[in-house]
Amino acid sequence: MNDIGEFTLLVALATAIYGCVAYVMAARGNRIDLYLSADKTPLIVWGCVMISSICLWRAFLANDFSLQYVWAYSNIELDTFYKIASFWGGQKGSLLFWTLLLTTYTVVVHFQNRKKNLRVVPYAMAVLLVIIIFFLFLINFSTNPFERIPLPPEDGRGLNPLLQNYWMVIHPPTLYLGYVGFTVPFAFAVAALISKNLDDGWIRVTRKWTLISWFFLCMGNLFGASWAYVELGWGGYWAWDPVENAAFMPLLVATAFLHSVMIQEKKDMMKVWNMSLILLTFVMTIFGTFITRSGLIQSVHTFDEATLGYYFLAFLFVILFACMALIIVRLPLLKSENQLDSFLSRESSFLFNNLLLLGIAFATFWGTIFPIISEAVRGIKITVGPPFYNQVNVPIGLALLALIGIGPVIAWRRATLSNLKKNFFRPLAAAFITAIALLPVIPLGSRVENYTYIAFILCAFVMTCILLEFYKGTTSRMGSHEESMLGALTTVTWRNKRRYGGYIVHIGVVLIFAGIAGSQAYGTHIEKHLKPGETFKIRGYDITYEKLVAVEATSVKTRVIAQLQVERNGSHYWTARPEKEFYKGQNQPVSEVDVLSTWKEDLYMILADFREDESATIKVYVNPMVSWMWTGGWIIAFGTMISMWPDRLEQRRRLERFRREESLFPSPAQE
Amino acid sequence: MKHKKVRFLVGSLLIVGAIGYLITMGISNTSQYFFTVDELLSQKVSYAGSGLKVKGNVVNGSIQRDPNDYLNVMFSIEEKESSLKVAYQGVTPDMFADGREVVVEGTLGEDGVFHASTLLTSCPSKYEAEKEAGKMHPGTLNTDKYKEPGLNKADALPKTTI
Repeated sequence: MNDIGEFTLLVALATAIYGCVAYVMAARGNRIDLYLSADKTPLIVWGCVMISSICLWRAFLANDFSLQYVWAYSNIELDTFYKIASFWGGQKGSLLFWTLLLTTYTVVVHFQNRKKNLRVVPYAMAVLLVIIIFFLFLINFSTNPFERIPLPPEDGRGLNPLLQNYWMVIHPPTLYLGYVGFTVPFAFAVAALISKNLDDGWIRVTRKWTLISWFFLCMGNLFGASWAYVELGWGGYWAWDPVENAAFMPLLVATAFLHSVMIQEKKDMMKVWNMSLILLTFVMTIFGTFITRSGLIQSVHTFDEATLGYYFLAFLFVILFACMALIIVRLPLLKSENQLDSFLSRESSFLFNNLLLLGIAFATFWGTIFPIISEAVRGIKITVGPPFYNQVNVPIGLALLALIGIGPVIAWRRATLSNLKKNFFRPLAAAFITAIALLPVIPLGSRVENYTYIAFILCAFVMTCILLEFYKGTTSRMGSHEESMLGALTTVTWRNKRRYGGYIVHIGVVLIFAGIAGSQAYGTHIEKHLKPGETFKIRGYDITYEKLVAVEATSVKTRVIAQLQVERNGSHYWTARPEKEFYKGQNQPVSEVDVLSTWKEDLYMILADFREDESATIKVYVNPMVSWMWTGGWIIAFGTMISMWPDRLEQRRRLERFRREESLFPSPAQE
Repeated sequence: MKHKKVRFLVGSLLIVGAIGYLITMGISNTSQYFFTVDELLSQKVSYAGSGLKVKGNVVNGSIQRDPNDYLNVMFSIEEKESSLKVAYQGVTPDMFADGREVVVEGTLGEDGVFHASTLLTSCPSKYEAEKEAGKMHPGTLNTDKYKEPGLNKADALPKTTI
């Protein structure tokens, strides 16, 4: 089986190379015979990679420790659940998993676009295959997951206990689905450049892909935050770790892209900008992989093989320069007739939203690579931590938050004073009321507290803007049709999925902003070393440390559990059982925190340390409003679903507009 | 037309400038120098008082805890040529033990004692083990070597079942 897995990887590589060359030759020479032949390759490549993946999964499930990779990331006692997930637990498997997803996407693209636009699609397929070739090359010649051990050991080393959490099954695939997905819009953008089809065709074809990838990337980030929150046991959900940044930066650039393509669709502007953004998004995903794989930047996620990172770096530069050159060559074709009219318009609010998103992305990027740069320039390593990111990104983030409210409401082209008044009077009133109402309730003074105050005011402003949009839509529908309020709301949303889905996503984003602000500003924590029976207080909770027990849960796992009683206002509130788990063969215990989550605040307990005399160090966090973030995440998911839902009405509308435009301005590329 | 273009250019430049200003200020206010113990102690300029990150290995037998306050810890970290005394208040990570590589963040006092506000142990040993495995045949890997004080500590507790 392992031989088959190894062999199919080689076949996949050879087929991909052939397919890539054939697609390009077919497109250049208009040779339909070559095209038909090339068009068989995506499926073959996918099939080969799939077989290879199945072989690797088989090795995990069958405890085949003759494979070095299986030996390193699994053992006999590991749950089947985690054996399946161990596939992407390490370097080699995660690259194969990446390739599996990429080839799967490629096959879907192939079936979606078969026999459509023969001028663009062959190039798009060729670009996708180039990227597949890069990964297959690495897998075949640098990090082969089928590498053998001459004398197979009897048992494997097991999966790092930190990874033995259900999020391990959910988080990496989600993130990869997002990362990999951006390859598709990128491929179509490059294909559009090569084939000179520079209208917004490529954006229309890949809109769903962009949305789906954005969705997965966004969820991947949130899942990562939840995982860190429940598993790493430091009371937080985000540490501005290089690897977190690596997943965050493409999300920011992709968000900018999602917004600015609307301007191109509506106004035929910002063509170069959009091309650059999708290129940047894709490059960021490769850069992220470079960071995680190179070990160049210290991070909690570091993988072991350093050299691999440099392949990614080289690949990154090749892509970057090739695409920049291509954009420059096509610059004359990317000129737009239309121009921005006024600062007070939706177009310019989108432009500013883009600048701010890119600003956050750049600050994050700069902070991440600053140690390397300072060492290269000054010979001294200088690092920046969370204070840097907070100091820079929070003000930019707040400006962005304000734009979430302004952008969708302000008029296109040029807003007049009267429609500004009409649209923003009530939201501003709401913001004003919030500002007054919060004044006596919340603490002010420190930088964080002041920012949080501003954040809450802006949240109220934006929320009112969005809800008013729903209200306007609903009432006008109710006026023209006999419908109940709920019925009208549903109809309006369902008729304009893209628009209202977007608003729902914005509601989720506002909740996330509120959750971050609340938890960063008003959180508190305490550390106590206690003997059984001792009591302490935090924020109105009286906590008693009762006892410590050790439980041999399985033959490889020992759990040490502390029991604490929490009282509030004199009555029993919660029994907390934070624990530490010890795995045989792994020298690092894993903290299992215990969290009681309410909409107001989380009470978060960690058994930080203990001694043989049953005294224990307990760390307690009170984290306000953390659950708002997770709720916001689900709302984002819901909103994205709505705006992605297939919509016949929208399709027809777009098609009509497309035809009209085409007859009015025949673009040079269409001849 | 020209006029409008210039206005937008100026507007965008203002935003870009503001972001650039934030980044520059952020770097100068919050950055920390990152040294190993030898690098820090061989510097000609004194870094006392400024934010520092220092990497070194815990000196064997140097970990002392205040008998009245378990969370008050003193220890030393060393490299090849020099060692540095560290004072730390707080929970020590699970991996914190003699000989471990640690990174401390804080300030260097005039008395030469490093006052650490955070104490990090380097990456999970999974990866160290991997490096060692590369040197010898995995089949001969001695798992007892990976049994650590932490587990012994857990073994010392009374056992129950649930």
